Amino acid sequence: MITHISRRGFSAAAIAIALTAATPVLAQEWPTGPLHVYVGFPAGSSPDTIARMIAEPLAEALGQPVVIENKPGAGGVIGVQQMLAQSDGHSFGVTINGPLTTAQRMIADIGYDAVTDIAPVSLIATTPLVLAVSSDFAADDAASFIEDAKARPGEISYGSVGQGSGAHLTAELFASEAGIELFHIPFQSYAEVTTSILGGEIDSGFMAPSAALPHVEAGKMKMLGVTSAEPFPQVPDVPVLAGQAGLPDNFRAELWDAFIAPAGTDPAIIERLNTEITAILGDKEIQEKLLAIGWKAEGGAPDLLAQRIVEDTELWGAVIDKTEAAAE
Amino acid sequence: MTTLEGLAHGFTVALQPEVLIYSLFGALLGTFVGVLPGIGAMAAITLLLPLTYYISSEAALVMLAGVYYGAQYGGAVASILLRLPGTPQSVVTALDGYPMAQQGRGGVALFTAMISSFAGSMLGIVVLVVLAGWLSAVATEFGAADYAAMMIMGLVAASTIGSKHPAKSFAMVVLGLILGCVGTDVNSGAQRLTFGRTELIDGINLVALAMGLFGVAEVISNIRRADRHGPPDRVTLRQLIPTRQDLRRMVAPVLRGTGLGGMLGALPGTGSTISSFLSYAMEQRIARQPERFGKGAIEGVAGPEAANNSAAITAFVPTLTLGIPGDPIMALMLGALIIHGIQPGPLMLEARPDMFWGLVVSFGIGNLFLLILNLPLIGIWVSMLRIPFRWLYPAIIVFICLGVYSVRGSVFDIAMVAGIGAVGYALSLAAFSPALLLLGFVLGPLIETNLRRAMLISRGDPMIFLERPIACGFIMAAVALILFPMVKSVFRGRRPGALPPDPRGIWTKKKGRR
Repeated sequence: MITHISRRGFSAAAIAIALTAATPVLAQEWPTGPLHVYVGFPAGSSPDTIARMIAEPLAEALGQPVVIENKPGAGGVIGVQQMLAQSDGHSFGVTINGPLTTAQRMIADIGYDAVTDIAPVSLIATTPLVLAVSSDFAADDAASFIEDAKARPGEISYGSVGQGSGAHLTAELFASEAGIELFHIPFQSYAEVTTSILGGEIDSGFMAPSAALPHVEAGKMKMLGVTSAEPFPQVPDVPVLAGQAGLPDNFRAELWDAFIAPAGTDPAIIERLNTEITAILGDKEIQEKLLAIGWKAEGGAPDLLAQRIVEDTELWGAVIDKTEAAAE
Repeated sequence: MTTLEGLAHGFTVALQPEVLIYSLFGALLGTFVGVLPGIGAMAAITLLLPLTYYISSEAALVMLAGVYYGAQYGGAVASILLRLPGTPQSVVTALDGYPMAQQGRGGVALFTAMISSFAGSMLGIVVLVVLAGWLSAVATEFGAADYAAMMIMGLVAASTIGSKHPAKSFAMVVLGLILGCVGTDVNSGAQRLTFGRTELIDGINLVALAMGLFGVAEVISNIRRADRHGPPDRVTLRQLIPTRQDLRRMVAPVLRGTGLGGMLGALPGTGSTISSFLSYAMEQRIARQPERFGKGAIEGVAGPEAANNSAAITAFVPTLTLGIPGDPIMALMLGALIIHGIQPGPLMLEARPDMFWGLVVSFGIGNLFLLILNLPLIGIWVSMLRIPFRWLYPAIIVFICLGVYSVRGSVFDIAMVAGIGAVGYALSLAAFSPALLLLGFVLGPLIETNLRRAMLISRGDPMIFLERPIACGFIMAAVALILFPMVKSVFRGRRPGALPPDPRGIWTKKKGRR
């Protein structure tokens, strides 16, 4: 009896799924149900907070609820995998750059290809990292930091939030462009890196501006430079690293957060979402909210995001090649 | 602002109707989610997070804090009555609380847990107010070597609890350490023991492990018993009230637990888990009759409960004064503050005294409320045991699945909890202590990460563990803990029968009086 019922339930579900899959999703009618946005990070994390900031006005604009699905794990990769596992035409994702650019170098089989399996919708926001040191550290700017590092190669240590993290790769990129050698000590969070710098265990770290800012204001830390191309509004006084002390003018290392869809999504839907998100990001209040948590609103066409994925995969891939070669 | 002025200011913040209502709501919700096996403060705070966008920052923070410490009260209920600890802290409570419940003293055990929790929290608040500045300075003084040494000491101290056979204890700790290795290696980024599963890259879900080893295993072992035994006897009110002897036994463990928890809670990353294990280990070691532990010793409930509640309070020190969250729940709370445009950090106390002192006062009010709320509820909780097993246990399994899923929304983890449950049942048949497995699992990765980090920082020189005074102190303590039993056994050998086990255990004594 029990098997009978469950079999009937199963076939009903199967028919329902088949129907949804068979019905061509027309952009005019879309969305026909709630949108599910997969986020590969836990509630309260910055990718989650950004997704929720976008979700509310997006739901208003589309006339359907937008549900945030937190599927944390593997540096955001699980969120992308879960989005791709749905095929209802209403599942999307908000992710940081890692799962789309460097994850396949870190995890043996991530189960998707960022170029062929993902349809970019729109960039949402970017954030640079700042080079932070303890206030006791001798160098006051990037030039003297680099000079110091040249004088004692491999002695200045820096903390990152893990092997292959944005903080690690940024520091390695910086070191390789500046022609210096730094000593890497991996941590798990910026909080740990900060404690370690304050406690004098490590010398420096590339970190999110918002992680360093309270300690800079308290006079315990210094920020020597920022990795964005232009000064970052949250820390306007910190000079950009590009073009300083022998660093190339195009030196730039930014983390970003983007709205994505599974490949094969109707281009009209992508277009519609892009239009709505662009409008949302144009809102002053949203821009201020993003900046308060350390991110700068930055939208753009789907192509722009696609280009960014390709460029960053190449940029960070080269850095990973170098660090791997150095490790061997 | 002096401490007294601060407190006075805190009262004006915490007694605002909106703040007060949200604080009590949080504490109440925390108790209920704490009672549900596996669904802890984390899940509740995650669900409440969107709500915090629409209320004032003070109300949001006191509400989330209320959930956090409310869950500590509730967590004791399921672990004492049903051996269903939702968190590693409540695992320790189950060690003696569950035997007490089986002896018909579940009410007393709950009463003890509530009173100890309350006392631990209140004294924790005093520690927070008096020592906040000092504790935050100590927290930055602690380096990787110090953490590693402290955890090693903790592992050594606690590795004998809950089991009579040293070899079996050791086996469980080692198994826990191995399971703790699953996931990404922090230093190299390599994946260990993940068998190619993306779900295991961040390690085994702690809630799945705890729920499987304790909850599911307990349900399985009761399947065989359920047919034979009817529901337990009706509980009378008299059985809820601890005897004067019980109360006398509680005082010292509560004070020691509070001190221990208050100190450890302030260190980011260690927090309440290790404090409850250490408190238990300490009570067992200094007890006159250590053999009573694991069979329903009231000290084994009182000490750890006081320790983890006091740690839950002082855990706010690094979060608020350094902006450094000690555990994922604290990280969530930090996130909630940042959304409101408040960046906790060294300047928080000066920049937002209303926030800090309001929170401190809300702790006091919330804990008092929890005590008043929970004492009358004890009778209701205990009567839960009278629900026939055929209804209670399926319901428990459902809650376990919900709880495990709620941690990271992973169906894989539900399959894990089933598998771990089967292993847990096999372990309980062979009289292995799953509490030690969990201890190894929690401490293992912390020891490894900090040990390797310390070695990187010292560029491979192990002397860092002896050169740093804090680390050196812990290492010496660990060595002493290993040598002490050896010396003691030599000493005992010379005077045979000097410390005979007391033939009149506490329970025989009680029965005699009845």
